[in-house]
Amino acid sequence: MATRWAMVVDLRRCIGCHACQVACKAEMGTPLGVYRNWVKVVQKGRYPNVSLSFLPSFCNHCENPICVRNCPTQATYRREDGIVMQDPHRCIGCKYCMASCPYDVRFLDPLKGIVQKCTWCHHRLDVGLEPACVNACPTRALIFGDLGDPESEVAQVLARNAVQVLKPEKDTLPHVFYIGADMVAMRTYGGAEAREVEVDWVRWFLAKIGLLRPRAPVRE
Amino acid sequence: MEQDVQVLYNVFHEPPLGFWIALYFYMTGLSAGSFILSTLSYGFGLKKYKPIGFIGVVLATVLLVLAPLNLIIDLGRPERFWHLFPYLNVRSPVTWGSFLLTIYPINCLIYAYFMRKKNDRMTKIFGLIGIPLAISVHGYTGFILALSKARALWNTAVMPILFLVSAMVSGIALMILVVQIRKLFAPPGARATYDAILVDLGRILAASILADLFLIFSDVLVLFTADTEAREAAIMILSLDFSPLFLGVEVFLGSLVPLAILALPQLNKRPGWLSLAAACVMLGILAMRYIMVIGGQHLPLS
Repeated sequence: MATRWAMVVDLRRCIGCHACQVACKAEMGTPLGVYRNWVKVVQKGRYPNVSLSFLPSFCNHCENPICVRNCPTQATYRREDGIVMQDPHRCIGCKYCMASCPYDVRFLDPLKGIVQKCTWCHHRLDVGLEPACVNACPTRALIFGDLGDPESEVAQVLARNAVQVLKPEKDTLPHVFYIGADMVAMRTYGGAEAREVEVDWVRWFLAKIGLLRPRAPVRE
Repeated sequence: MEQDVQVLYNVFHEPPLGFWIALYFYMTGLSAGSFILSTLSYGFGLKKYKPIGFIGVVLATVLLVLAPLNLIIDLGRPERFWHLFPYLNVRSPVTWGSFLLTIYPINCLIYAYFMRKKNDRMTKIFGLIGIPLAISVHGYTGFILALSKARALWNTAVMPILFLVSAMVSGIALMILVVQIRKLFAPPGARATYDAILVDLGRILAASILADLFLIFSDVLVLFTADTEAREAAIMILSLDFSPLFLGVEVFLGSLVPLAILALPQLNKRPGWLSLAAACVMLGILAMRYIMVIGGQHLPLS
């Protein structure tokens, strides 16, 4: 089978050290204020029943990438091996790909005026090295490899575990798979900012026509 | 089940589309609306509207020449804008736009040229060619938002038609204001024709506002009953960050107030009140573009 790169993030092993984030910044020289990857950290529960959940976030290198579909200059394209690339010479910085991406993993390079993203360190892959984040992960929570090769670790881990992807309803077919991801960490709002209607007369009206969601029970 | 949840660390990138894009949508909308009004007499033979035929095409052309400047200013690398043509991607609505934004103003100029030469047959042909172009040049901007599947406020099928109807609304309002000014320079005998046009424009405006309000109602109601993100977006415009703009400016000041003025027989023939209604409508549609573009990106994705 042809090479198809994929990543599995085993959150049972992740300790939230942010080493992947730091390694990426160091490898790519990403400017201040923007990130090719990051580790979302969510705390839930109350003492003594409390836990932290982590969600290392990267480009999902989708099989059906909306950014590639919407890029007007073909600056964003999919390589044969599944990597979603960004051509720095072609990109005009229209930011339509950023507007289309459901994962907010693209950013406008403040120095170059073009859109940049995670490319799974294609420059390292092409010389036989693994991506910098995978290389830096101390607990081997990031498993990277060729899905086309049934002998690869990533293919075997994927076959043996229950996995999920981010926002599967967007039909982008992500190729970053998560094992043991927490629901609140995967949710856009982390459940923390669940908003409710605050204008009184709007709330009254919505209640009348039955569109108001029941409020969370009050805890003592 | 509600839990105690706190996000301790997360990354949000700056919203990609800013005020320039909202202004661009506003200007193409005004242009498309003006063009359609211009074809009432020259395309469809409604002789009554002949005096606004040329005004309409001038407005349409000027706005559509200026509108893409907003896009080029907004680019990260403005000097590379020409990449849109040799490296085009036919699946991208932005590519549809780069061709429409080229063809439409050219058609407008040819149409205006034949109108000036009093060649009615050619004017009619280019006027009728211009109608689908005007619809496309604004309709595609609705598709730009609708086809960005990331944002719940944008990713709805109502978006292109909502954009077209609001374009009509703002275009008629602009025409009312311009005709008022044009009337000041008309010979006293010709003012009655302008007054008659104004009354008609007021009626079309009222009907368009009603259609626009229905689409907004339909959009919000469906957002409320769709998925979590859509619901959050509906709540955002109804009651949180964007509610003063949405309920106050877009719905109340931009739709209900003008509708009331246009419905009252004591007011809807008085030039001052008609201008006030038109100005409110233009402000309301500008607010609508702003809410759609900026508000659409307000909710975090990560």
